[in-house]
Amino acid sequence: MRKSFKKAYLLLSPSLFWLTLFLVIPVIFIAIVSFTTNGDFGAIIYEFSTKAYTSAFSSLYAKVIWQSVWWAFVATVVCLVIAYPFAYFIANAGKWKNILLLLVMVPFWTNLLIRLYAWIILLNNQGVINNFLLDLGFIEEPLQLMYSPGGVILGLVYGFLPFMILPIYSSIEQLDKTYLDAAEDLGAGPVRTFLNVTLPLTFPGILAGFIITFVPAISVFVVTDLFTGGKLLMVGNVIRDAFLVEMNWQLGAALSLLLMILVLLSLMIFMRFTNRKDRKLLV
Amino acid sequence: MGVQMVQLEHVTKEFDETNVVNDINLDIRAGEFLTLLGPSGCGKTTTLRMIAGFEKPTSGKILLNGKQVDDMEPYKREVNTVFQSYSLFPHMNVYDNVAFGLKMKKVSKDEIRERVTKALKLVQLKEYGNRKPKQLSGGQQQRIAIARAIVNNPKVLLLDEPLGALDLKLRKQMQLELKHLQQTLDITFIYVTHDQEEALTMSDRIVVMNKGKIEQIGLPREIYEKPVTRFVADFIGQTNIIEGKVTAINDDTATMEFSGQAIEIPNSQDIALNEEAFISVRPEKMKAGTVPFEGTINLKGTFKERIYVGSVTKIVVTMPNGEELTIHESHDNIEELTNTNDVYVSWNPKNTVVLKK
Repeated sequence: MRKSFKKAYLLLSPSLFWLTLFLVIPVIFIAIVSFTTNGDFGAIIYEFSTKAYTSAFSSLYAKVIWQSVWWAFVATVVCLVIAYPFAYFIANAGKWKNILLLLVMVPFWTNLLIRLYAWIILLNNQGVINNFLLDLGFIEEPLQLMYSPGGVILGLVYGFLPFMILPIYSSIEQLDKTYLDAAEDLGAGPVRTFLNVTLPLTFPGILAGFIITFVPAISVFVVTDLFTGGKLLMVGNVIRDAFLVEMNWQLGAALSLLLMILVLLSLMIFMRFTNRKDRKLLV
Repeated sequence: MGVQMVQLEHVTKEFDETNVVNDINLDIRAGEFLTLLGPSGCGKTTTLRMIAGFEKPTSGKILLNGKQVDDMEPYKREVNTVFQSYSLFPHMNVYDNVAFGLKMKKVSKDEIRERVTKALKLVQLKEYGNRKPKQLSGGQQQRIAIARAIVNNPKVLLLDEPLGALDLKLRKQMQLELKHLQQTLDITFIYVTHDQEEALTMSDRIVVMNKGKIEQIGLPREIYEKPVTRFVADFIGQTNIIEGKVTAINDDTATMEFSGQAIEIPNSQDIALNEEAFISVRPEKMKAGTVPFEGTINLKGTFKERIYVGSVTKIVVTMPNGEELTIHESHDNIEELTNTNDVYVSWNPKNTVVLKK
């Protein structure tokens, strides 16, 4: 027993080495930096200071963090509402299944930045949608589709929808159809079969989709950059600005660490609601 | 008895333009244990799924308790199914699994409790209500699947190879339990299997199917002892199928020539003068000896080999035309045979069964 245990570690050692070098050490470094003193032009003075945390918890940044969590959450919920029926449809599409899946994944091959620019053409005050509605006389003046929280959420939903569709699709696809036969056999119509059997059995896919959509959505900064010209901020924007614009590494490090803790907390809440088997879908 | 519970009238099912079930007519009586028996792909499971409602017949009618149901959704039919893979809901415990059908019918909580407890007791798993299906053995899951179906008091219980996944010993035990359960509940059972021994053990009547058609319907004993077609004779148990040309037809008997020797066979509408005829003789009805037996049919051949299989000894005899006949002898009446001997294979003419081509 013990010997094979040791062997397992030996086999794991390359990946452990990799993780230590590129994950553990950088995180420790960021944690250390967050407690140092800020010098001129981004210099790091190795003297203990909690100043970065004082500003990170100030109302300005707290508001941005809360805003990020809220927008990411709303976007994730919208993704779920769109993705579930979509995934269900794909999983039952027979011979069209692979083509539809491909269509979901094709956008991945194009940079998010470019795809968001395409949206700007649509959403702009002089954009396609506004012009169309104005011409038809449905609206008197252009709708404020960009430069608003709604626009940010639209961008997030657009960018991360495939992350929600794929795990849900996979859980619906893997669902043993004889469970549905069994439910029907026992007197459950289509609606009750869905609520009592399909939904609970595909719940792991929903949870997995929720996490892998929510986690990147919370920290993304290109959407706010492009859709609001930096007028609205998410935590990703302020972290980038702290490092690159203000040259305040301490603040950037502290905010990064806080974001990491936030994400870990949401993962722990996720673990709470799932059992061992469900979690396997994540990896 | 005697009331028709399930009636299939000219039922055909096509998948991709091939007839999986081809023009089947079948009446199933109330309270009977009927088995659909056949090799895989013979249409037996499709037939069962059409009765359950999971498949709609391409043409033909299905009547359930006198009412036409072929367009009725499965959840509205008063039948329940025990699935091959059990299909117990993995996210529910045993109690909720068994209660599912009653909940869907909006039965009161108290009545659900009472009926579920009774059903679990019937399958001897009363204490297991809180377990998840995964925590049960295959045999226990099987019983829960049965409890989940019968708790609804269905008019007909459909069983799709329900014992296929169990080991031999447990399977034999469950066969008898199912038979007893059916007698206790007095529900019509329609049972699908490819295992002929299982079918013979449990059924009141057996329907042998092949290539989407019914080959024969009959009591287990009729199916075994009086197979009508070559397929049935071959599929049910072991047999010797002897093929030969009819050389003479009298009133009650006819003569067939096989490997240069004449065999007297019963006259039947399935034979014609100068045409090929097929007969089946079970190995246990045959004897082998060094001299011909009196008053029986005797075929002369040469001894090939002897195989001990426990309950009997198999003796293989080669006929002059190269075909082999197999005889099952009980151990205490085996003559010493060697391959230098002429061997006479003999049987009583009443054990000859003439088959349709």
